[in-house]
Amino acid sequence: MNPQVTIGRTEFANPVLAASGTFEFGLKFPAVANRLGGVVTKAITREPRVGNPPPRICEFPGGILNSVGLENPGLEAFCSDVVPRTRKLKCRVVVNVAGFTVEEYGELAARLDSQPVDALEVNVSCPNVREGGALFGQQPKVVEAITALVRKQTTKTIIVKLTANFVDPSETAKAAEAAGADGVTLINTLFGLALDGTGRPFLGGRNGGISGPALKPFALFCVDRVAAAVKIPVIGCGGVMNSADALDFLSAGAMMVQVGTANLVNPEAALEVWNGLRQYARQNRLSNWDRIVGRARRQD
Amino acid sequence: MKPVRCAVTEARELCAGVFSFWLQTPEIARRVKPGQFLNVKVSVGPDPLLRRPISVCDVGRNRVRLVFRKVGRGTEMLARVRTGDEVDVLGPLGKPAPELRGQDVLVCGGGIGAAPLFFLARRLKKANRLRVLIGARTRAGLLLLKEFRGLGVQVRTATDDGSAGFHGMVTELAEDQVRSRGPRAKRQNVERRLAVSREPSAIFACGPKPMLADLVRRLDPIPVWGFVEERMGCGTGICFCCALPKKGGGHVRFCEEGPVVRLNEVVL
Repeated sequence: MNPQVTIGRTEFANPVLAASGTFEFGLKFPAVANRLGGVVTKAITREPRVGNPPPRICEFPGGILNSVGLENPGLEAFCSDVVPRTRKLKCRVVVNVAGFTVEEYGELAARLDSQPVDALEVNVSCPNVREGGALFGQQPKVVEAITALVRKQTTKTIIVKLTANFVDPSETAKAAEAAGADGVTLINTLFGLALDGTGRPFLGGRNGGISGPALKPFALFCVDRVAAAVKIPVIGCGGVMNSADALDFLSAGAMMVQVGTANLVNPEAALEVWNGLRQYARQNRLSNWDRIVGRARRQD
Repeated sequence: MKPVRCAVTEARELCAGVFSFWLQTPEIARRVKPGQFLNVKVSVGPDPLLRRPISVCDVGRNRVRLVFRKVGRGTEMLARVRTGDEVDVLGPLGKPAPELRGQDVLVCGGGIGAAPLFFLARRLKKANRLRVLIGARTRAGLLLLKEFRGLGVQVRTATDDGSAGFHGMVTELAEDQVRSRGPRAKRQNVERRLAVSREPSAIFACGPKPMLADLVRRLDPIPVWGFVEERMGCGTGICFCCALPKKGGGHVRFCEEGPVVRLNEVVL
């Protein structure tokens, strides 16, 4: 069995990644990170951000809402303080980047191009990133412009993380593909609002992003739809709690999966997902993932 | 760090809505330090999804004790656990409380806040001069009094309704104990007050946020270390959800830099 997956110029040892914002920089649990295909870092912005006031998290039956607000040390501190430590990880390190203008994405890509990191995940889908009242990721033209600018600034593998909030992600995926993206991740959290029982928003950042098991059917639908629309690899994300969920995402057309919210419950969740997939592959005598990826559509 | 399943050896209700467990877990019992907590899964399935952080109240041979109050759906589910059941826990988590030697330490707990202070007090009294203040709304809510008194240190109580000890808030009692000019001090027995009035070099406190804020205000500038409670995501420092604003900007992640933090440095 060859469990490797290649996206762009990056070869991943296996198809399981820890999702952005749910595994810090992979440094808290290096023994877990080292056995994954890779870790996607917390989103990095050009300037440091303190993030939203608490509370930043709450639950509902089926998952959680979070509103961390992109707290991060900023690009320079990331390069000087974090990268020297992430380069010691034995897995691939994918840096999630978020800009507040189209140009900022270019600056982030240019600076990270010379850094010892493996790939960039271009975050056009964080609920806190707004331009003209709409998310970047809701407009195929803006997704295309950002992707093209990032492509110009780096030779590294580019993965665009798409949103499914008020947009058909197959349209934005096609835009990313046309502009030179090597892959797309979907879906990011969905918009959500929690009230505190007296009518006030519960979260300090007011709105939040929904994640967890409740997201899975919709995320699977999006992956299936987008995988049929583009030729570049799709990375599935949204409610992967165990290896059976991961297998569903591969079957729907994803070449890789990201484990997110499950890491909050069990820091070894992503590793358990990979162990489960590996066991499945062994039991079914798979030589690679080709028989699994996209089989939902082949079996229609 | 792997979650572990451990057997509950002694589950009981200490007073209305407050529960106590002993968990059989040699590994955690050996490693845990005062100030640290366990993150407890309250359900088998995904609802509720997140674990509930509970500070360790005491440690015995191969076992640790958790004492918690039923406040919502999660802790209500946990309260249904019986002796012989198993629970899934992750830990020990959080930064241990600072270790002190040769100091005058005041320990001040309000309500369920007395629980994590017991483990701390037990360790602190070995190398420090210790005074303990326990407050609650009523006499029935004064937690772990027998255990605290068993430490052989001075223990004073305060109740909001005056049903036991000092009639008033535990923060008022703390101020009386520390300074002779507290508002209630005049009404206290002067000789007794003089006997105990000395300024501690450190204070450890645990209780509701308004209590902690009040304590800091009353006892400023004495450093107050507080066990803070806020909604947590992971408990392991990876999700950045348990942010507590710092004075002068930024946040502390109190699952990582706490849960025991210098209260003088944060916004409560």
